[in-house]
Amino acid sequence: MNLQVEVSEENLVHYFKVVGEVDAFTAPVLKERLTSVQKTPNVQAVIDLSEVDYIDSTGLGIFIGFYKALQEQNGYVKMTGVNHRLKRLFEITGIDKIIDIEIEEGGSDDASL
Amino acid sequence: MPREIGKHYKEILKQYIQKQDEKDLYAGQKFSREFIEKEISPEEVIGIHKSSLMELLPETSDQIWHSFDFLIEMMIHYGLALQEHQSLILKQEELAMEMKIAAQVQNSLLKTKVPSFKGLDIGFITVPAKQMSGDYIYFLNDDSNYASVAVADVIGKGIPAALCMSIIKFGMDSMQYENPSPNVVLEVVNRIVEDNIDDSMFISMFYGKYDAEKSIFNYGSAGHEPALLYRAKTGKFVELDAEGLLLGVQRNIQYEERSVQLEDNDFIVIMTDGVTETRTEQGFIEEQFIHAILESVKDEPAQKIADTVYQRLGELQNFQLRDDFTIVIFKKNER
Amino acid sequence: MEYGSSVEINTEWDIVAARQLGRNEAKKIGFGTVDQARITTAISELARNIYLYAGMGRIEITCILQGQMKGISIIASDEGPGITDVRKVMDDGFTTSGGLGAGMPGVKRLMDEFNIATERGVGTTITAIKWLR
Repeated sequence: MNLQVEVSEENLVHYFKVVGEVDAFTAPVLKERLTSVQKTPNVQAVIDLSEVDYIDSTGLGIFIGFYKALQEQNGYVKMTGVNHRLKRLFEITGIDKIIDIEIEEGGSDDASL
Repeated sequence: MPREIGKHYKEILKQYIQKQDEKDLYAGQKFSREFIEKEISPEEVIGIHKSSLMELLPETSDQIWHSFDFLIEMMIHYGLALQEHQSLILKQEELAMEMKIAAQVQNSLLKTKVPSFKGLDIGFITVPAKQMSGDYIYFLNDDSNYASVAVADVIGKGIPAALCMSIIKFGMDSMQYENPSPNVVLEVVNRIVEDNIDDSMFISMFYGKYDAEKSIFNYGSAGHEPALLYRAKTGKFVELDAEGLLLGVQRNIQYEERSVQLEDNDFIVIMTDGVTETRTEQGFIEEQFIHAILESVKDEPAQKIADTVYQRLGELQNFQLRDDFTIVIFKKNER
Repeated sequence: MEYGSSVEINTEWDIVAARQLGRNEAKKIGFGTVDQARITTAISELARNIYLYAGMGRIEITCILQGQMKGISIIASDEGPGITDVRKVMDDGFTTSGGLGAGMPGVKRLMDEFNIATERGVGTTITAIKWLR
């Protein structure tokens, strides 16, 4: 499986559009992109997951690591375009209580197979 | 030793130069194995070839002899690369051996005693995807009426995950005699994990405590997959979820605690995501698939239920697990 | 009776001079073609290391006698930055894969004896010996 991460910046907000599956094999790509900004103080980041169907535990670990790194720098991260399947993952793990999550707009309610 | 080999090589070469018979080439092929066995390097082989030739065809022009010296020079690095390769293979074997021992150490370290209670039947299975597991089961029981279980899953697999397990074990050991409630256990373990484990490691954990006298199951979850409760009376499954963040993300976290009353033949299924996220070529299995398996063996003993789930889901993926696979069954029997 | 000579390493061409010196010496001592090639390759690697990492230094070639044994000794010395982690430098796979040549493990394999003395900020002296059989 491939994973693409498109990075852009607008009004000091870093956007990461992730496309593909985030698992143990593809996660290093994502990690590399995210680490590039996490040392910046007060960094604002938005991670767009609308094109992501699946995140495994390694992928989840990377998002949490990113969140923790940003916390230390007084930064902020939000995840958008979260589908039903991912929403459940974030709920189960309690991540939805610490990271702001926006559900995919008009997305199908059931993205699982 | 090289002298012997040199003599032998010269003979084969001589035969071949004279007759170009296929059988001489075959003899040469067999002989080349001897080179490898005796660790004769490529440059040495060319050296042997050159000196054999000097005896067989002494009339050859000097230019040809020089070209052999050049070839020898060329082969030195091949020889080194070969030796390095062999030494790396040895190292790999050593690592594999250490890994095997580490897995044994882990197994004995994480050994846990299954509580034996009248009225409660416990079964479990845990299978690592690789040699070492990042899943962990810990049973706790005092001699009174409580049987507790922790099922933990370190995010990540292999050695790093396995090392983290021991921290959980020692955390749990420290509470062994206190018979703590699930929310307390999770709070304590969270603090231990947060203090001791690398920032990028996280653990999910489900903790359940069964009161055999009252038939009440208390539970809490730190970001873990919800457990399933099968209700014998209605034949329905209920998800046992409770709010709580993964262990190791934030220091002071409160964990919700919930409880359910068990009736005869009800059973609880605690799993890791290696079970629920079983993947086939067609995609992820559906929840109902697991329900159907469980239902088909609902009247069997707890261990049989656990084994059957592993058997069926294992078959789907030819037993090539992508993630550590752990399942624990608590089944209430008639007392 | 020991005698020797040396080559200063400042440019890449000095590596060739060091090889030539080593080859002549090896031939004179009586090493065969294959061993000559091994010895010069070792010299090459050592000289190249000096050229790449220390900038300048020297290679000393000595014919040595020990009892009945006759051999060649190569001493490569520089006043460069020194080696921080000798164990790492001696690890297989550390240099070769990076295209830096056979590296120190290679030199060690080509020769019979091998020794590194190094100090950070002071320099490095590597001694390698091959015995005539």
